[in-house]
Amino acid sequence: MPSSEPIIQDSKRAENLQNAAVVVIDDEESMCEGCRQTLEESGFTATTAFNGSDGIRLVREVRPRVVVLDLKMPGLNGIDVLRVLGEIDPAIVPIVITGYGAIDSAVESMKMGAFDFLTKPFEPEILIEAVRRGIKLNHLRLETSKREAIQEEDLEEKAAPSKQDVLLKGLSVLSEGYSAGFERMGFLAELKGLEDEAKYYAERLGRAKKRERAILDVVEQLTLVDDIIQEHGYSKSALIQILLEAQSRLHWLPRHVLKWISERLNVPLGDIYTIANFYEAFSLEPQGAHTVQVCLGTACHVRGAPDLLKKAASVLGIQENQTDDRQMFTLKTVHCLGCCALSPVLQVDDTTMSNPSLSQLKKAVDSLEKEEASK
Amino acid sequence: MKKLASIQELESLRKEIKAERQRKPFSITVCSGTGCRACGSVELVAAFHKEIMKQGLYKTLDLRESGCHGFCEHGPVVVVLPQNICYLRMKAKDVPEVIAETIQKNQIVERLVYRDPNTGEKLVHVDEIPFYKHQKRILLGNNAVIDPTDITDYLALGGYAALAKALFRMTPDDVVSTVKEANLRGRGGGGFPAGVKWESTRRASGDPKYVIVNGDEGDPGAYMDRSLLEGNPHGVLEGLILGGYAIGAREGFFYIRQEYPLALKNVQIAIDQAREYGLLGDDILKSGFSFDVRIHRGAGAFVSGESSALMNAIEGRVGEPRPKYIHTSEKGLWDRPSCLNNVETWANIPFIVNKGASWFTGMGTKGSSGTKVFSLVGKINNSGLVEVPMGTPLRDIIFKIGGGVPGGKKFKAVQTGGPSGGVLPESMLDLPVDFDALHEAGSMMGSGGMIVMDEDTCMVDTARYYIEFLSRESCGKCAPCRQGLYNMLLILNDIVSGKGKEGDIELLEELSEVMRQASMCALGQSAPNPVSSTIKHFRSEYEAHIVEKRCPARVCKELTRFSIDKEKCKGCGLCQKNCPADAIVEMEKKIFVIDQEKCIRCGVCYAVCPDKFSAVVKTSEIESPEVFVA
Repeated sequence: MPSSEPIIQDSKRAENLQNAAVVVIDDEESMCEGCRQTLEESGFTATTAFNGSDGIRLVREVRPRVVVLDLKMPGLNGIDVLRVLGEIDPAIVPIVITGYGAIDSAVESMKMGAFDFLTKPFEPEILIEAVRRGIKLNHLRLETSKREAIQEEDLEEKAAPSKQDVLLKGLSVLSEGYSAGFERMGFLAELKGLEDEAKYYAERLGRAKKRERAILDVVEQLTLVDDIIQEHGYSKSALIQILLEAQSRLHWLPRHVLKWISERLNVPLGDIYTIANFYEAFSLEPQGAHTVQVCLGTACHVRGAPDLLKKAASVLGIQENQTDDRQMFTLKTVHCLGCCALSPVLQVDDTTMSNPSLSQLKKAVDSLEKEEASK
Repeated sequence: MKKLASIQELESLRKEIKAERQRKPFSITVCSGTGCRACGSVELVAAFHKEIMKQGLYKTLDLRESGCHGFCEHGPVVVVLPQNICYLRMKAKDVPEVIAETIQKNQIVERLVYRDPNTGEKLVHVDEIPFYKHQKRILLGNNAVIDPTDITDYLALGGYAALAKALFRMTPDDVVSTVKEANLRGRGGGGFPAGVKWESTRRASGDPKYVIVNGDEGDPGAYMDRSLLEGNPHGVLEGLILGGYAIGAREGFFYIRQEYPLALKNVQIAIDQAREYGLLGDDILKSGFSFDVRIHRGAGAFVSGESSALMNAIEGRVGEPRPKYIHTSEKGLWDRPSCLNNVETWANIPFIVNKGASWFTGMGTKGSSGTKVFSLVGKINNSGLVEVPMGTPLRDIIFKIGGGVPGGKKFKAVQTGGPSGGVLPESMLDLPVDFDALHEAGSMMGSGGMIVMDEDTCMVDTARYYIEFLSRESCGKCAPCRQGLYNMLLILNDIVSGKGKEGDIELLEELSEVMRQASMCALGQSAPNPVSSTIKHFRSEYEAHIVEKRCPARVCKELTRFSIDKEKCKGCGLCQKNCPADAIVEMEKKIFVIDQEKCIRCGVCYAVCPDKFSAVVKTSEIESPEVFVA
């Protein structure tokens, strides 16, 4: 019964899904997790599945470089999975795990295309070494097939679009507008309006954004908002949920986003501003890339939250509800983070710190700055 | 997963799961509530997985990431079964030792067990530790053994049996009357009998009807609901489905504040799993009853925790309360009959349906049955979540379970009921805690926040803190609440900064009375409580601030004098660097002095002085400052 659970059980795994280098398939959850931890600590990304059929589904979705596979599993066993792997992508390198060290099953799996085999229990280093070699092999396989592909195709050179190209593109947009029955002036006015919003947006962000970049940003944000609205449905009751989602993705609610939502949901802009002002989750000002929140709950208050706030302010060089010039940090206060036993509490992005000292705070802030600098 | 189609299928699945569980003789549970996560439980779990793999123990040892165990102060909490050994403040580096000693040799790792701070005795097992020993953990107990993201864990403990019982052996009226007989009172604050609410929603005309979980735990200092939603979401969900069946609703809502990301995630997982197993959705267990649930994220507004305001928020509007003469049980969400209860109230329902009303009334006092979860925090040794039968004396909770005030300081007061509650001084420690007793004492149950204060807590500052909170959170719709709070805050700000006048106390009392009589919703009506109860019990502290211009607890910055203890100061210069008024002078090399003339009493020097030095000291007398000679 428990083996038929969904393949992706937590968000951490889901996040890594797109570029997982390794998929681990084993019916023992601890085994899977252990392998995953070991691999991730050595810098690989890994995802796990607890049975053969989930494993195959995961491999199709993720296209890993290496698959670590238990031979003995209920349902679809390792040999069955091996058979399918080659069909999905011949570049994938399978490594098998045998529980009973039976040499014949290992030999059979090697015949089926397995690259290496490990006998349970094994040291983490052995796993890492095997995976490392597997990835090298995968790389070689990919390079070879890429070279073949390049030889087959004639590559067209990509040049930047000329002014004429852009004009033609603009004309075709206009003509599409006519055929959809838009009035020309109104259509142009709306386009102009969006451009103005982009200028306003660039100004709000100060030096941090250039105008051309801002236009692209606005387009990107509006498409994102459209996706969010699509997901939540075009109804007024979804408004707060849409705003929350937009806030969490963009870190603040720029004017053009609110206008866009107002038109899409057919809710007056004034109403949207009322809501955005009323609830604390929303910010109408640009926020830093990272948020430092100081909890001002009662438990934190009696155990020195006001002093902690002062410490945080002095480390960041900004006051409550301010964002620094580089838009790196925003210092906020919250009513209660619900970690009252650890009071006084401060949260840097998603990391909760219990009564940090000045030097601990500095360290946390410095490491984020370094991270940004290396981006 | 094939949907379960009958009560028999549910029971046989349960048997299967239990048999599967018994295959592994050992189990290690790592608390993964928000508190323990902040103390490093995620790294701890990773280390356990790795060690289990390395030692090849996956056939004998079951590793479980559970919900909150409640003993957050000592996190991360680890429990080893079947021995029931409790390891506290465990780190990833301790893992190999615990596996080698406790699992492989059945030995105890002494340095990780609880040590009684009073007797010095080492207590190995969970039920020996005073924090747990004196509790009755009905709702919280399951938290510690369930992986909240795995429905089979809940099923193994008898989960959804109450739902099956209700659907096949009870009429909706039976369920309502059971809850009514149990005298389950709303755990969110008001203490209104849930059964009565259910009955009037059931009888109200209008269709569809709605049931709602109020998970907008806005009281600062309270986190019981967070822990239940994170730790045992199926328990709350089962309660909600039962409520839907009883009042005739087909749709339910979870309203959860967005500050609780883990709760949101775990509840969503629980809903998905329950749907997959046929315990939620169309034709539950083929009983003919259909019910589904949606989550609404709260965007952060204290007043939205009020029932009608919360319904406005779900409708996508500003979360302001509606006038009370229309009951939400008749016209609530989208003007349809709606029944809203707090998380803890819903979590009690499966137990009551399963074990019967008399089991529930067997616990607690005459007016308040059952248990109550409190968040015992502030100046207390064992802070964490505590569940006790109603009527347990305050003294037992604070001293027996909580282990008293740390650092040898003197207990001053305990604040209950959140911003709408009040403080109880030492003389009321023998008060049995239930809805009525707290109300009579001038405080209230609220959602269960219990903030302990010691001699270093200033009561005027505490009152000011709450009034500031409330004045920010007042929606501003009615004048008594909006203006009353604003003016109270001005007066209190004056008092704490040494500008208090004769007659301020009387003015505060008068304002309190007006707000109590004339405000529109409970927020305004109860908002004066922090002020009136502190005046009632600690009038002398107010007088010290106003008349003597002195803060006895040395909290109010403007009434406190900061100076640097030359003996303790190591000359790091942090205070000088951070002083906004340039009031700190380096007299000789590495000897710093605060210029009292320039000092604006902001307290930054006190905040930044490293704890290991604690060289900046506060004194409460400002009349005779040391003369500063440059």
